[in-house]
Amino acid sequence: MTIALQVIVSGLAAGGVYGLFAAGYSLIYRLTGIIHFAFGDLVGLGIFATLFVLAGTSPVSQSGAHEPRFLLAIVVGLVVCVLAGGATYVGLVQPYLSRGSTIGWVAGTAAVAFAIRAVIGAVFQRSSYVFPDPLPFHRVGTAGYIHLGGAQVQARAFFVAGLAIAIALGSAWFLEHTRHGRALRAVADDQEGARVVGVPVELLVTLAFALVGALAMLAAVAAAPGEAVNANTGTLLGLKGLVAALAVRFGPPLWAFAAGLVLGVVEAAIANVHLGGWQLGPSYREVLPVAFVLLLISLRPSPEALEERE
Amino acid sequence: MSVLAQTGVELRRAAGEARARWSTKAWLAFGALVVAAAVPFLSLPGVHIDSLADTAYLGLAATALGLTVGPAGLPSLGTGAFMAIGAFTSALLVRSGWPLEPAVLAGTAAALGAGVLCGGVVRLRRAFIAVSTWLLAWLVWLYLLAFPSVSGASQGLILPPRSLLGLDATPTVHFEVALALTALTALAVAAVRRGAPGLELSALRQAPALATSLGVRLAWRRLGAFSATAAIAGLAGGLSVQLQAVADPVSYDPFLSFKLLVAVLLGGAAATLGPAAGVILLGLLSLASGPLARALQLPLERFDAAVGALLLVFVLAFGGQGVLPWALRRLRREDLPERRPATPHPAAPGPSEPVLRANGLRKTYGGVIAVDEFSLELRRGETTALIGPNGSGKTTALRLIAGAEPADAGAISLDGTEVTALPTSDRVRLGIARTLQNTASFPELTALEDVLVGRAVRRHHGGLLRTALSTPNARREQQASETAALEALALVGLAEVADVPTPELTSSQRRLVALAAALASEPQVLLVDELAAGAGADELEAVAGAIERIRERGVAVLVVEHNLRLVRRVADRVLVLGAGTIVAEGSVAEVAASGVVQQAYLGTARL
Repeated sequence: MTIALQVIVSGLAAGGVYGLFAAGYSLIYRLTGIIHFAFGDLVGLGIFATLFVLAGTSPVSQSGAHEPRFLLAIVVGLVVCVLAGGATYVGLVQPYLSRGSTIGWVAGTAAVAFAIRAVIGAVFQRSSYVFPDPLPFHRVGTAGYIHLGGAQVQARAFFVAGLAIAIALGSAWFLEHTRHGRALRAVADDQEGARVVGVPVELLVTLAFALVGALAMLAAVAAAPGEAVNANTGTLLGLKGLVAALAVRFGPPLWAFAAGLVLGVVEAAIANVHLGGWQLGPSYREVLPVAFVLLLISLRPSPEALEERE
Repeated sequence: MSVLAQTGVELRRAAGEARARWSTKAWLAFGALVVAAAVPFLSLPGVHIDSLADTAYLGLAATALGLTVGPAGLPSLGTGAFMAIGAFTSALLVRSGWPLEPAVLAGTAAALGAGVLCGGVVRLRRAFIAVSTWLLAWLVWLYLLAFPSVSGASQGLILPPRSLLGLDATPTVHFEVALALTALTALAVAAVRRGAPGLELSALRQAPALATSLGVRLAWRRLGAFSATAAIAGLAGGLSVQLQAVADPVSYDPFLSFKLLVAVLLGGAAATLGPAAGVILLGLLSLASGPLARALQLPLERFDAAVGALLLVFVLAFGGQGVLPWALRRLRREDLPERRPATPHPAAPGPSEPVLRANGLRKTYGGVIAVDEFSLELRRGETTALIGPNGSGKTTALRLIAGAEPADAGAISLDGTEVTALPTSDRVRLGIARTLQNTASFPELTALEDVLVGRAVRRHHGGLLRTALSTPNARREQQASETAALEALALVGLAEVADVPTPELTSSQRRLVALAAALASEPQVLLVDELAAGAGADELEAVAGAIERIRERGVAVLVVEHNLRLVRRVADRVLVLGAGTIVAEGSVAEVAASGVVQQAYLGTARL
């Protein structure tokens, strides 16, 4: 029981971040019909831009971060993430979409992904970095851990899970109840129709493309101090988001978010849970969900994922 | 005559024959192969033979990927995963004492198995194929990182030395083996491209709906290309790991998969040797980056990935087809093959018995009844017209008969065989062909090739392997297919435009090509869906003439048509459909006189 609580809370924290990535993938897919392979790495770029402003390329100590500097760093990180995301859409996705070239946008976004990874790896050459913690979680509970009915849970986990869920619900509300949100849903439903009634399709899609990255980056930065970060951090977060989004076949963003939460809990369970003396262990944590989703899409594809036929 | 002189004459004759047979491209490729084979013996400055051999294995994998990316058009981001599977399978076996060759074959088989296992993804739309293969690349890499017992942790698996084909496995031997395998793969890929599988894959890429309606089996064809690529990538992986003497998970980062795709697109997926050219280009790039890095004092090797990616983006951004097709366009000669004018077979009127029976078909879409209690009989050598107002269910009825959708209820039999549960391709093979409502076509094919796609179901020796090996049966069948396709074109009156690219045909000619493609499958029943929509008087006459001639050959024809002039011209019998059910049946005159048509089209309540 105690382990279950620990698994669920830490799983929801990781899953909240995955969920925001998943929701981003699914929103982009529904708006444009593309899968944004550079999504994770663009967020990674934002995280490392933040880190760069905070501490340069040196390893960071906890005391190195002060609040004003941190705010500046996050703003710079967000701006980098948003600009790079928008530029990717305008430069490498839109031209191929208008030409109907699938292989163009696949190769284009994957190229951005690997280029960003190479640049981060070249600038930040250590195998891992510690992200400074702006919020004094280490003062909560015992050195940042809260005891809950015998279980030890990171105080940060509550914050990250809460933040991610708040962002997800806030975005859902935005899509449902605001003018721009409704316009975006119209684009997802019928792009030509939306264009005919005067929705500025290209502008909205570009903005959405850029901003979903910023939302995912906020949650990723909140979670970043919990673990060491390196050039693969963004890529792997993106991969988890993609797995969750594919599990719901790029369905409504809130479903994708929920799938991300489930994925987080499942991963934590795979890593921690003993079942009658039988344990999978952390090695399986990364591998099993990807394998499961791959087999799922290969053996039981949804009708809309299938190639058009007569 | 002396022996020497005789040999000289023979040699000259052989050379002459080869010259006559080989195209410029083939000679160029042969020359490139000879030059490449000599490279290790030239001791070029800055060239290491082991990295040369490594590049050659990459070229082997890329050449195989050319089949998946080129004709099939599938954006595979997971080829490196298959190389990894081949590499680690063979590395583990060699470490447990196996000789190299069986270990490499086992690695190839493992990669093939993985390809077949993931092969379900080929049925998906291309965006989903990209995601699935991307996930596969990451899955294999994460697996290798997470399980050091398999991958030998950070040092990798050290391999004991082994002989290769009885030779001391020096880098030079590896290079020549890789080159020979690449050349063989390229020959096989070229044969597949020219043959039936290449044509069908390319048809599926250009217009999947049209190709499948002609009976092309989408999953089967694509799976063939995808798993062949997987197997050859596994072969390349298994051999290259022995060359490197260590199996290191870091070398199988998903970037490897992307690099292979970059090589294919950079060199040009449209040419058989494009991928190999792309690999050479990337190799030259990394050769050049060394001195450049020293000059600029930058760690450029870390940016190789980024530079390769950017190069690709440039090629793509300018709408490029890759380097090799661009270069080859300068060599292109217009040498059209000579064709004997084909004459259609004489008419063969069959007995006037029902060949197709549909009974009580029903189809609803979410509560809306499209077709209900729909029954008909089609007879050989008779043209039946199905008319009715918009939304009366004509096209749905046709789709049910052709197998594009399953019926909710009812039965369909052809020649006494129950076909209700069979998929489209099986029905086309048994003899139910159909033309589609829209005049979609394959933009990259000529009229003859377009019609050849319709021969898909009549091929028995046109599989991937037989085509790749150019077996005599496969070649004979290809000849026979062409003759049959030419005949079909002649029957609709288009023999003279056989080699004209589809986009250059008039819309009327395109309609007739669609008809000929359906006809090429040798149907017993031909379903024609609104072929004359928007046609002028001349076009109407051409379509009507073609339908007449097809009927005279004993085919049962069912036309769904709004154009009543065409109906009057060709139909022996008319069925009137109203709200999903047949409301009247008879000759044109009878139906016209009965007033049911007006009722069906205009309704009674409102009049």
